[in-house]
Amino acid sequence: MRHICAVLTSLAAALLFALPPQHKTVEAAPGSPGTRNDPRQALAIIVNRSNPIENLSLTDLRKIFLGERSRWPNGHRVTVTMMESGYAERDAVLRDIYRMTESGYRNHFLKGTYTGDIPVSPKTLSSPQILRKFIFNAPGAIGYLRASDVDATVKVIRIDGRFPSDLDYKLQIEGPAK
Amino acid sequence: MRMNILRSKNFSFLLIGWAIAMRGFPLMLGILANTTILQAQASNGGADVDKQTIQLLLRRIEQLEAADKQLQQRVAQLETAQHGITLEAAAEALAPASAGIEKSQHGLRLDSTSPPVALPSETRTAAQGEAAPSERVDDGKTLLNIRGFGDYGFGGSNQKGTTTAFSLGQVDFFISSNISERFRFVSDLVFEKGVGNAYEEDLERVLLEYRYSDYFKMAFGRDQTAIGYYNLAFRHSSWFQIPTGRPFLFRFEDEGGILPGHIVGASASGQIPTGKLGLHYIAEVGNGRAGAAGAAPVQNFVDDNTHKAVAVNIFARPDFLPGLQVGFSAYRDVLSPPNAAKIGETDLNTYIVLERSRFEWLNEALLIRHTPEGLPHTFNTSGFYTQISQRFGSYTPYFRYQYANAPNNEPVFFPIYQVSVGLQHGPSVGLRYDFSESVAAKLQYDYTYLRRQQTTTQPSISQLALQLSFAF
Repeated sequence: MRHICAVLTSLAAALLFALPPQHKTVEAAPGSPGTRNDPRQALAIIVNRSNPIENLSLTDLRKIFLGERSRWPNGHRVTVTMMESGYAERDAVLRDIYRMTESGYRNHFLKGTYTGDIPVSPKTLSSPQILRKFIFNAPGAIGYLRASDVDATVKVIRIDGRFPSDLDYKLQIEGPAK
Repeated sequence: MRMNILRSKNFSFLLIGWAIAMRGFPLMLGILANTTILQAQASNGGADVDKQTIQLLLRRIEQLEAADKQLQQRVAQLETAQHGITLEAAAEALAPASAGIEKSQHGLRLDSTSPPVALPSETRTAAQGEAAPSERVDDGKTLLNIRGFGDYGFGGSNQKGTTTAFSLGQVDFFISSNISERFRFVSDLVFEKGVGNAYEEDLERVLLEYRYSDYFKMAFGRDQTAIGYYNLAFRHSSWFQIPTGRPFLFRFEDEGGILPGHIVGASASGQIPTGKLGLHYIAEVGNGRAGAAGAAPVQNFVDDNTHKAVAVNIFARPDFLPGLQVGFSAYRDVLSPPNAAKIGETDLNTYIVLERSRFEWLNEALLIRHTPEGLPHTFNTSGFYTQISQRFGSYTPYFRYQYANAPNNEPVFFPIYQVSVGLQHGPSVGLRYDFSESVAAKLQYDYTYLRRQQTTTQPSISQLALQLSFAF
């Protein structure tokens, strides 16, 4: 009996270590469904793993996304990444962070770069996978993903002290995954 | 005797030999059997097998050579791209490449199942620029970004001596270039109405910017003077303005403006670390404007005196109300009219602005003080404007009221710049319709009361203007 237990334990440990770390996903928010196709899901704000930032207020996050902050405290240049139009994640960012329409967003960055207030416009990437890989490789990058798309290659930061898995997390996606 | 035999070396060797023989026998037997089988196969069809194997190996070598060639090409491509590339460009180019991305005409295609691969640490460091010994420039691609703004209009007024006319407005080519991570070139090449009825080009802004951090940015060249809000917020683009034109107080020098709208010099600007208050500063020094009648007002190459113009603009963008900006600016210069006493100029301005994506409310007040040397008297010109607009779908109705009041015998506006100020005030109402994200039509009506004018005796002027404004 003891031998059987030992064998089972070894098998479980082996399976655990055999799984690559990037396949671990962030737990879904208790208040929102966990699978990618669920229409309502938390929007995770992600940065490169080397970024020391752990928490941002929604106000500071808004300033970063608006282009009002160009450097992280560690000196790296901030690079805001956005998904292309048509993604529910982008709609959530425009609604909850920018508080702008699509045309308002475009006009904001056109005017900001024209007046010199904003040094660089956000980088638009064509899919969540590319966005995740970009952030994995760019130390100053910040972006967003549906919570179920997050893996261990990027770092999820808290917004106003809340993780996407927390009940009162403010950033929520309303729409299915593309 | 027996014990002696057992302890002798010969007996040990015997035992070892026996063990080897017992363990090695099956092995020897196996080798012998295999050799026999192989010999039999060779004698039956060995030639065919060798031929097939060789062909397979040759095919495999060809495949490997092709793969190697592809990899070498990709490495060369990446090395070229890496030379002088910025962080994000490097990350974008290399990360997908390492993750099995293919470039297509429509952008990047990605194998989403492939795991991300980290860039080499030295590449990331160089790309980020954190340890780069010098600012590098990518010679392999164009660095210019060009956007354009323009307008075209039709209008007329009841002012005596004028007729209705079509008009080409300003066409502004906004050209910028991120030379490196911290240096940026910015220019506004504007084609606009020149002397008489001609069209001429004008470099309204030519700047080399160095951005050290959010708290400190320097700019060298020709720029809009840091007086007030409107001058910096809208510059030469009619596209960003809701109405058809600028308020009277903030017209450009070559359009009958009374402020020094441009300056050639250097400036420092940035945020002041004040937390939720969001204070910002702009400090500027430059040539100031010409004091001679008929001279180009913006002194690009020579200054008619050694006194430099100085401007300071301090403003707050507090966190508690996004879109709110409250500021104060001061400008000081000395004008040197030929064969006349120097005139000190001090421009004081304050503003409060609320700009949201669909709502805009601008308020600015201005005091221009001219003090000729040797005279105890200072000539104060005051003015303000308020402008409000709210967007409903594609329609944006707007309203503006403006006021300017210059004293009699004001020594600068009319004597030097031939601009009649006197007392003028009145409302403007209009409607902007956005056809798309880049094209809009504006219809505006202005009514202006006029008193103490040097150029007309009319008590008021009504004006109607239609404008097509666009960004490209």
